[in-house]
Amino acid sequence: MAISATALVVWTRPLAIQCFSAALIFDNDQVWNGPLDLEGHLMTVCFRWLRSALIVVATLSFSPAHAADPQQVLTQWYRLVLELVRHTPTYSPPVASRSFAYIGIAVWEVTASGTRGLQSLSGQLNAMPAPPARPEGSYDEAVVLQAALSAAVQDFFGNTGPTGQRAIAAMARTQHKIVVAGLAPDVVARSEAYGKAVAAHVVAWSAGDGGALVENMGFPYEYTLQDGPAHWVSTSAIRQQQVPLLPGWGKNRPLAMPSGASCPLPAPPDYSEDPASAFYAEAKEVLDVAAALTDEQKLIARFWSDDPMLSPTPPGHWISIALQILARDKAGIAASAEILARLGIAVSDSFIACWDSKYQYDLLRPVTYIRRLMDPAFQPLLITPPFPEYPSGHSTQSGAAAAVLTEFFGQDFAFTDATHVDDGLPARDYPSFDAAASEAALSRLYGGIHFRAAIDRGLDQGRCIGAYVAALKMKDD
Amino acid sequence: MRLPLLAALVACIFSWPSAAEDAALAPNPVPLPLFVEQTTSSGLSHSFTGEWEFIVGGGVASFDCNDDGKSDLFLAGGTSPSAFFLNQSPQGGDLKFVPQTSGLEMDMVTGAYPLDIDSDGIMDIVLLRVGENKVMRGLGECQFADAGKDWGFDGGDAWSTAFAATWEQGAQWPSIAIGNYIDRTQEAFPWGSCTDNWLHRAGPESFDPPLPLKPSHCALSILFTDWNRSGTPALRVSNDREYYKGGEEQLWQLKPGQPPRLYSAEDGWARLRIWGMGIASRDITGDGLPDYFLTSMADSKFQTLPNGPQTPAYSDIAWSKGLTAHSPYMGEDKRPSTGWHAQFEDVNNDGLADLFVAKGNVWDMPDFAEADPNNLLMQKADGTFVEAGQTAGMASPDHAARGAALADFNLDGLVDLVVVNRNSPSQIWRNVTKDAGHWAQLQLAQPAPNPDAIGAWIEVRQGESLQRRENFLGGGHASGQAGWIHFGLGSNPEAEVRVIWPDGTIDPWRKIAPGFSQITKGEAIETWILKP
Repeated sequence: MAISATALVVWTRPLAIQCFSAALIFDNDQVWNGPLDLEGHLMTVCFRWLRSALIVVATLSFSPAHAADPQQVLTQWYRLVLELVRHTPTYSPPVASRSFAYIGIAVWEVTASGTRGLQSLSGQLNAMPAPPARPEGSYDEAVVLQAALSAAVQDFFGNTGPTGQRAIAAMARTQHKIVVAGLAPDVVARSEAYGKAVAAHVVAWSAGDGGALVENMGFPYEYTLQDGPAHWVSTSAIRQQQVPLLPGWGKNRPLAMPSGASCPLPAPPDYSEDPASAFYAEAKEVLDVAAALTDEQKLIARFWSDDPMLSPTPPGHWISIALQILARDKAGIAASAEILARLGIAVSDSFIACWDSKYQYDLLRPVTYIRRLMDPAFQPLLITPPFPEYPSGHSTQSGAAAAVLTEFFGQDFAFTDATHVDDGLPARDYPSFDAAASEAALSRLYGGIHFRAAIDRGLDQGRCIGAYVAALKMKDD
Repeated sequence: MRLPLLAALVACIFSWPSAAEDAALAPNPVPLPLFVEQTTSSGLSHSFTGEWEFIVGGGVASFDCNDDGKSDLFLAGGTSPSAFFLNQSPQGGDLKFVPQTSGLEMDMVTGAYPLDIDSDGIMDIVLLRVGENKVMRGLGECQFADAGKDWGFDGGDAWSTAFAATWEQGAQWPSIAIGNYIDRTQEAFPWGSCTDNWLHRAGPESFDPPLPLKPSHCALSILFTDWNRSGTPALRVSNDREYYKGGEEQLWQLKPGQPPRLYSAEDGWARLRIWGMGIASRDITGDGLPDYFLTSMADSKFQTLPNGPQTPAYSDIAWSKGLTAHSPYMGEDKRPSTGWHAQFEDVNNDGLADLFVAKGNVWDMPDFAEADPNNLLMQKADGTFVEAGQTAGMASPDHAARGAALADFNLDGLVDLVVVNRNSPSQIWRNVTKDAGHWAQLQLAQPAPNPDAIGAWIEVRQGESLQRRENFLGGGHASGQAGWIHFGLGSNPEAEVRVIWPDGTIDPWRKIAPGFSQITKGEAIETWILKP
């Protein structure tokens, strides 16, 4: 609670100077929700400020020191979110990306509303109404954030299993206990009410985007496959996966880009079974690479495999990368909230754009083509995902994620990615976000699940989406 | 009972098979399976209850503990006391069970497996629990007492969910494997907290201290099985991917006197990661090797070895065989299914093993079917399977099934069914299939140790037809059984049997008569008749 420390400083210095200084210091960090007008009502401000300071000092005399840090709240909840993504059966990568976006936006809105110089995303993201205003009074930002995250996670993961529900309840209980310690009840009540209101606002807005309802784990009960040798057919022996995943996802309402078709791609090479064709050459490359995989290439393929139900999924992998960097660099809540919101929006729009293209071109997977024409026994290293090939979803969203992170942290920003250490895959070092994105994209070739064009153009599509996200204005000029 | 039976018969006549199934079955008409629920009239009144720590488990042990030839029942109770029921069903009549104090009444029990641990000819039983597991010595007349201290069995303190037993070559005492689930003290982050499975290996006169099987990945079903017919069973482990990190399905090699060794990709082991919940095994493909059906969520696997026993490189042919239990086949609820206990038995005695799968929602999981019917997948002459659960009358979609046992409770040659449901009454059905084929039920015996010949293979031959099954103890979901080993014989009553004993001794082919036969190693086959 920043106001507590400030109040103590105020108490020890000459009144006039300290009043003015404290108001400035306070305004730099926290928006005062009363009638703040330093030019016209300085005395009023000083009076209220001093009154607040006195109240705080008085409170401190009888209450334990309060040190809850919004950043810690954020870190703990996101750790849980990554687990819930992994363990909630409907959470395929597109579904996961959507929740990362809305949870990130909720975090941003509560943070921006309590921090001077930050702007709401309302009016910038498609169809997002203005968030609730903060009623007058004092707030604790850790409590606000805790309430918002608790409500948002409960909603977006309302369909998780009994263990996830138990974990959400435990997290809410534990974090609540930490953040409210030593706070005045009215501050807690006001802060919690506001956090919940913002979460409810984001959830209500999200409900109309087309992605809120996921049935049968995303596989349509009825679907007619397109005829023709170029088109996708199931590559799975699982009955549920005889139809493709989420065929309508590309029509969902995106966040930062105007529509799912806003980052179109050129068509993939024309389907051909002619050994001299470009298409055949792409398939031959997949076959040849698979036949000569090095241990390092196998490791790369598995590192970025990011299978649903067995990992936080590809968008969760990039959220994990961001969280690792934010923790390493001890970033503050404002920076963390901005990164998580931008990254969530980027990966969410990526899966909408990518799915729009996938079902536009409806291209078959390498394993289908290769077994049909080249090697009936071909076995890719990775399990081929149950949806059309072009473009590569991991490539699109990695391209977008890298664009967003590079915009924020800069080019040649080196980092270590330990996302999968718990699963026995060692951490990997990258000199830049682009390098990591390129490796993630190429991993699909090593895994035998994508042709080259899907990889290269997926990255291009991601950069296009990244530009939309980078254009979001989140701070005052 | 008469009205339900009549209704079921009417349903059978008019509803089964469906048009599509009819076409599939037309060339090879088979007896249509029919079960009648007799839960209330049988006296089997019991429920497996509990919340989070009992989302899994819910087992039943079927075994004869008073030497009358009838399978008695022990049912796990979770937070409720477990219960024992004495089988008093008249031969060929309605099912009848009487609750009886047995010494097995305790809470926190998840599952149970019968095993004559001390080879004294009296069946003992192992109770899996949330907390300390128990080995209970059979005292005769279905009375039991805790023998943990006497037998050096460390019951530990875990969330135990799976069991398998074998006799390693030369051992005087069984080796018991216990599968354990997650660390139940972890609340906010239980994922990745799988606790060690234990191998209680045979010592000279009791069990050695349990050996942790590292890594362990939250087993829900384990089975000692001679996967490659080498004569030395390995431990097949089916793990729940919900909780492990870096895990997969497992196969442990156990050579006598050597530490367990995990088969790896270098051995040809093909990585598989599922919500593994139950194992059923039988040689369905006829290649002489055990095949494995694995239950999961929204999916199921049927694993075979297309390239033979040299490497454990399993292929999944569930879909092509029609062996899937991925979603409800009846009712309005079309959400994905959740499978638990699975067991191959020939329920219409046509000489082809069928598959039962217990199904039920884990616990308020909205993306999975709440009305999830049990499966009865009937094998056809072409080796594929067709669903018959609805018309057979044991679908029970309104209950969340867990463990189960298929056994001939009334000794009429038809395999009956008992199912343990979570937080609702257990159910029992009498098999009343009309015009079922001939049958043979066999009981193996050999001198101690291992008097019930766990690990033997039984082969039944009828002309060109050959059925094989392994006499294992483990697998399923928290449910085990001992007693009669059932074979359907179809329309031909003539059959020959051959036993390959655990020590590798191979019996000659010998004729068996339809009905009950006792096969004791080195002795003539004896026909068994229920004592009046």
